[in-house]
Amino acid sequence: MSQIFGIVGVFDRPEAVTDAAKHLRSLGFRAMDAYTPYPVEGLDQLLRPQRRMMLPLVMFAAAVAGAAWGYFIQTWDEVLNYPINVGGRPHNSWPAFIVGTFEFMLLVTIAAGLFGFLASCRLPRLYHPIFNADAFGRASVDRFVLCVEARDPSFEVEHLRRIFERFGAERVAEVPA
Amino acid sequence: MTVLIDLPREAPVVGPGVTLRSLSEEVSNRVLLPNTPRWWWIGFALGMALLLTFVVQLIWLFINGVGIWGINIPVAWGFAIAEYVWWIALASGGTIVSALFFLTRSPWRSATNRIAETMLLSAAPCAGLLPIMHLGRQGLFYWLFPYSSVMGVWPQVRSPLWWDFVCLLCYILMSIMYYYTGLLPDLATVRDLARTRWKQVFYGVLALGWHGSARHWRNQQTVYAVMSAIMAPMVISVHSVVGLDFAGGITPGWHSTQFPPYFFFGAVISGTALIMMLTILVRWGYGLEDVLTGYHLNALAKVMLVGSVMLGYAYVWEAWGPIYGSDVAERTQFFYRIFGFYAACYWGKIALNIVIPQLLWLPIVRRSEVLLFSISAGIIVGMWLERFVIVIPSLSHGYMPSYWGVFFPTFWDWAALAGTIGLFLSLFFLLLKLVPIVSMSEVREIVAKERSR
Repeated sequence: MSQIFGIVGVFDRPEAVTDAAKHLRSLGFRAMDAYTPYPVEGLDQLLRPQRRMMLPLVMFAAAVAGAAWGYFIQTWDEVLNYPINVGGRPHNSWPAFIVGTFEFMLLVTIAAGLFGFLASCRLPRLYHPIFNADAFGRASVDRFVLCVEARDPSFEVEHLRRIFERFGAERVAEVPA
Repeated sequence: MTVLIDLPREAPVVGPGVTLRSLSEEVSNRVLLPNTPRWWWIGFALGMALLLTFVVQLIWLFINGVGIWGINIPVAWGFAIAEYVWWIALASGGTIVSALFFLTRSPWRSATNRIAETMLLSAAPCAGLLPIMHLGRQGLFYWLFPYSSVMGVWPQVRSPLWWDFVCLLCYILMSIMYYYTGLLPDLATVRDLARTRWKQVFYGVLALGWHGSARHWRNQQTVYAVMSAIMAPMVISVHSVVGLDFAGGITPGWHSTQFPPYFFFGAVISGTALIMMLTILVRWGYGLEDVLTGYHLNALAKVMLVGSVMLGYAYVWEAWGPIYGSDVAERTQFFYRIFGFYAACYWGKIALNIVIPQLLWLPIVRRSEVLLFSISAGIIVGMWLERFVIVIPSLSHGYMPSYWGVFFPTFWDWAALAGTIGLFLSLFFLLLKLVPIVSMSEVREIVAKERSR
């Protein structure tokens, strides 16, 4: 028996994917994902209700770290490492350090956002079995693809094919691993 | 989370003929098809020719020093600083349109944000290079980095000039990351539509393997929203700190508490004006009339009008302060500005930035591409004059009559201006050829929403 990654149903409306996914979840399927050309509201929450978004927290932690780093580097410069008397101002003249602190904070936050986003998407990953799917190229243009993966315990090709067709899939195909 | 809340009733945001497929193909084909339109070659050639001027100017500058420009004492800051402020304002406009109007969920922002950000990434290097060129010893610019670069000495971090360096550095890096986060899904579309092996690999690598799964989208949407909420205050801080460069000096005409918002208002109007010009160019050149509709131009024109009114408010205060205040030097400086040697520049900026843009109140003007293009070009010239008036007449008419003198630009001053324009055009036209110029994933949501009602 040849290995397959899963089975895809290709739909032309986002509502069809949402309905099919809802039905499949109620039947107990868990290992599935939807591939869409634009974000479909609520789809990820439907597929993974347990998932908590950690990214905003990661970015907040990065903001705190970035601000601390930005303030520290200026304090180290002006107070500890090379203190110079400038116009009688205190060495730790914190109001003057705020701009630098603010900018470093934002820089680190954005960088954490980008790299955290890529990591949480498991990117960069130039190869993924879903790229083998028939007509997958259209999932980034105008089609909505729902894929049930073979690792799901109740995976069964004919059963899924019937479900996809009932929800109006315009084609159903197996994805080679 | 979706890009928009409600679509306007009165006008379609995208044309009725646009479908998900036609949108993706229209936009992607501009970077995929081998036949490049003639106007692109003309624009790119113009950019490269001016860029060559820039290179010659730079070499001459490195050999001879900043004395090749018209700057001297008392006017020690000339074109380079005025144009630095001009370019960073143009760049900031890109982030304002892109980030600020993402937060307000404005539907017109989706089709124009890529143009705005491409403009920003092309203008920011021009802004970054000018202050470095203005340094007496350009090779030592790295002394600004916050580390003990020479003999254990650190930069002086209490100076607005150092804040400005940090702002600009962070701003460019953050803009690239923000740009890429929004661009990633579109690169995947281009990868999927590419037919030649070379382009599939090129865009495949750039897209990093994005496959648009529900998990990907939710991560992207969340991060993009937070990033927008960061970029909006960021860009305000960048341009405010540029204002502090001047407000921190005691020169009459600079030492004013209104400078940070005043500079930001200038960024709103001039950045939007350049986006308007580029949007009209892309719309006409690429035949994207259905995607970049009159709705977008109308919205941009209204932002420009708001910018003009805000700037007018700042101009009133700029006049009110010296006249009402008791500082003789400030008053002398102000009257010199409006009646003195550079008076034509002052009245030119009033006409181009405040008076003529009031035409935008009329809906008929906001519907005419020719008028919009001309008014925008006028604003960009007017903003250049404004930066000139802030930097140069202030320095040429300080506290002491013995310290009065005029600046006159030399050939190399104009070469530096032409050169930075060349750098901008070259970068913009290159990016126009390499990346999809409309954010397809966002416009798809609008197409789907319009189709469903």
